[in-house]
Amino acid sequence: MTLTLFYILAGIIVASALLVVTVRNLFHCALALALTMFGISGIYLYLGWEFLAAVQVLIYVGAVTVLIIFGIMLTRRVMDDKARVMNNQVLLSFLAAIAVMFILFMVVGNSSFQYTNHAPVVSAAQSTETSSAASSATVAYTDEVAALAAGLLRPQNGFAFAFEFVSVLLLSALVGAVVVARKDPA
Amino acid sequence: MTEVPVVHFLYLAAVLFGIGLFGVLVRKNAISVLMGIELMLNAVNINYLAFAKYWGNGNLTGPVFVVFVITIAAAEAAVALAIVISIYRQLKSANVDDAHNLRG
Repeated sequence: MTLTLFYILAGIIVASALLVVTVRNLFHCALALALTMFGISGIYLYLGWEFLAAVQVLIYVGAVTVLIIFGIMLTRRVMDDKARVMNNQVLLSFLAAIAVMFILFMVVGNSSFQYTNHAPVVSAAQSTETSSAASSATVAYTDEVAALAAGLLRPQNGFAFAFEFVSVLLLSALVGAVVVARKDPA
Repeated sequence: MTEVPVVHFLYLAAVLFGIGLFGVLVRKNAISVLMGIELMLNAVNINYLAFAKYWGNGNLTGPVFVVFVITIAAAEAAVALAIVISIYRQLKSANVDDAHNLRG
């Protein structure tokens, strides 16, 4: 049953991702991208990361897709149907993508994950009672959001500086996007 | 809920990464290239979360990295779209092949 659910989700993701890269109309591409992101957030839910699934829907479906649709509308002349949407290296790109996929399949197929019957962790937060405090990022919180916040911000995990740095990055990306997209360069 | 082996998630992520790579390599429009990059980043996120769930033992490094990847992908999308709009204003085209002013 759950395997069927996974295959349905994977089918939605792969089919809509193929639509994203092949459909002529850019607007339809953006809608297919939104569907792909919904499917991926379904995968997150399936794995038990509820908060990250919500973040995925909020940021990708809510923000990034809308941003991309705005970008498409602001560069509207590229939406005419006569122009070719793909460049003249389709075969080469297809071979390259297939090669990368094949190598990844080989690596996964030959890895030990296949054969090791590792007991799946029911929940990252719940399992901390059984696991020792060997890893530095292990935290003993009972719900996902608190555990994630502790994983980000506890100084001994080493991500606190990166967290602050990412906030600076967001600010500079905001300012940079405004400056780059301005009509008259100052 | 976890009767699906972890390799299934890895295969799904590999397929998604390949599709995204194909999109990046083959599309002419810069916004389509951006969409391909988003697909590739999300394939990586699936790997992170699958491994964190099956092998993490409560280690939250994977989900923390997913948060960073999502944040940086959002910032990247904003800056990239600003660049695309700026290029479109200059060249009246959003094709990556037309933006060859820096070619020597």
